[in-house]
Amino acid sequence: MTAFALEGIDLTRRYGGFAALDNVSVRLEPGEIRGLIGPNGAGKSTLMDALCGRGGPTVGRVVFNGQDISRLSAQARRRAGLARSFQRTNIFPALMVREQVALAARMAETDNTDEVLDALGLTELADRRAADIAYGDQRRLDLALALVGRPSVLLLDEPAAGLSIKESIVLARLLRDLASSWKVTVLLVEHDMDVIFAVSDRITVLNLGKVLAEGSGEEIRANPEVVRAYLGSSIE
Amino acid sequence: MSGAVSPAKSAVASGAVASGPRAPKFVIAAAVLAAAGFAVPWMVSSQLALTLMTQSVIYAILATAIGFMIRQNGLTSFGHAAFFGMAVYLMALNGKFDAIPAELAILAAIALPAVFAFLAGLIIVRLPALSFSMLTLAVAQSLHELMLRWRELANGDDGMPVRLPSTLFGVDIEVFQAPSTMFVICWVALVAVIAVLTVVARSHFGVLTVAIRENEERARYVGYHTLVPRALVFALSAAIGGLAGVLFALYNAFVSPGVLHWSLSGEALIMAVIGGTHAIWGPALGAVIFFIVKDAVGDLTEHWPAIIGGTLIVVTVLLPHGVSGLLARFAARGEARKP
Repeated sequence: MTAFALEGIDLTRRYGGFAALDNVSVRLEPGEIRGLIGPNGAGKSTLMDALCGRGGPTVGRVVFNGQDISRLSAQARRRAGLARSFQRTNIFPALMVREQVALAARMAETDNTDEVLDALGLTELADRRAADIAYGDQRRLDLALALVGRPSVLLLDEPAAGLSIKESIVLARLLRDLASSWKVTVLLVEHDMDVIFAVSDRITVLNLGKVLAEGSGEEIRANPEVVRAYLGSSIE
Repeated sequence: MSGAVSPAKSAVASGAVASGPRAPKFVIAAAVLAAAGFAVPWMVSSQLALTLMTQSVIYAILATAIGFMIRQNGLTSFGHAAFFGMAVYLMALNGKFDAIPAELAILAAIALPAVFAFLAGLIIVRLPALSFSMLTLAVAQSLHELMLRWRELANGDDGMPVRLPSTLFGVDIEVFQAPSTMFVICWVALVAVIAVLTVVARSHFGVLTVAIRENEERARYVGYHTLVPRALVFALSAAIGGLAGVLFALYNAFVSPGVLHWSLSGEALIMAVIGGTHAIWGPALGAVIFFIVKDAVGDLTEHWPAIIGGTLIVVTVLLPHGVSGLLARFAARGEARKP
């Protein structure tokens, strides 16, 4: 039996009468990059929240490297090696770039600050205040904070949001490299279909809080339900 | 942006989150500053002037406590007089009931506000900034009312003496009550407080609390617990407020409910804002400016608070980081011009 890097099993999260997640299951193989797509309000970020322990109560189980972590806090999940980045840039603006990566490294009990800075092309900006660097650099810093300590699973919520096409392509390449070199399993929410199809081993499509489809990029492109509900003509 | 992942070039020691102050330079600067205080009584012959300067240094310590809270937690206390007054009343009541040795009472007067603030902080530092400010104000005013109304205990508005033994820590009590010696003690205490807070601010704990101030959610998602560090900053700030109260009690040997009043918290907050809270020493500078303006303008008009108010408006609008921020900007420009 395959040991999954991360499993969300029958996850349901309700806000009043509205089910933001309705019995969703997702299983990530070690080292894979899983794309997670769907229209706005499909439940993508809610699924990320449920997996990393953020937000309200969730029905269902989260299993991380074979361990049930459903009852662990977000901090404990991070310390166990389940990291995430956020839809909006989520950094510490007043701190120096190196200072904040080192802060995260200390919590992760590792000393790979330089490695992470180098991998994300932030070495030259290390001694600048995060508030003073360009938006694209801030997005990479956000990613660096999630990558410190070499987490085994990384949940990325729209890392290419606000980036130029060129920056998005570079980011996609970087994610591929990180997944293979660092053996990180990635769950990637992204609206940029070029990025999603370029990097994902498999893709899960959510719609109205339910899994609409799951498969390889080719299978998803060819799925008429997905095309109707989400992709439309964007893949033509 | 590098596209490929390369191996680590070098390891960074896990303790290198924040480099500590450059030790020799820092220690020398602190020692020189502390020593400078010894020269003041030689240069200032007026006992009245020394008394005013001693009082201003005590309030500078209180302002530094408030500034540290703003700097590290991003929270503004409107009721730090509670910690100041708590310490003074503890010493006064200990003298009245002769409960514990005065030396122990001094330590308790610093520890009690810290413990109180830590426990309260576990609840109130989670609140929005305005709610936190209002709650600190409410707590301080409640204590003020308690000491004002409970005449049997604290003699109400008439106040009560702080009875002290003839020696403290083996030092004659006169030393703590003569302006020339007490100024030096308070000055050294202020320098020590600034030095300790600088070390704390540059430590891992200091960087962490600034990170939490900046983005608590992110701090949580890199794995840190955020509540206890914030409560600890509040406790440390309260302990320093308590230290200021102890010095006040030793010097004045008298207490009235005024030491718990919101106006004292407000004045110390104004000092912190004028001086700026970006630098640990900013609020102390603000206290100096406050007392200079008060003294200079107070001779001309009884409406000196209006001048202080005007100064506050000017600083808030033109110098968001206070006078210390302006000085730091000049210093940075000077550094940049160096070849």
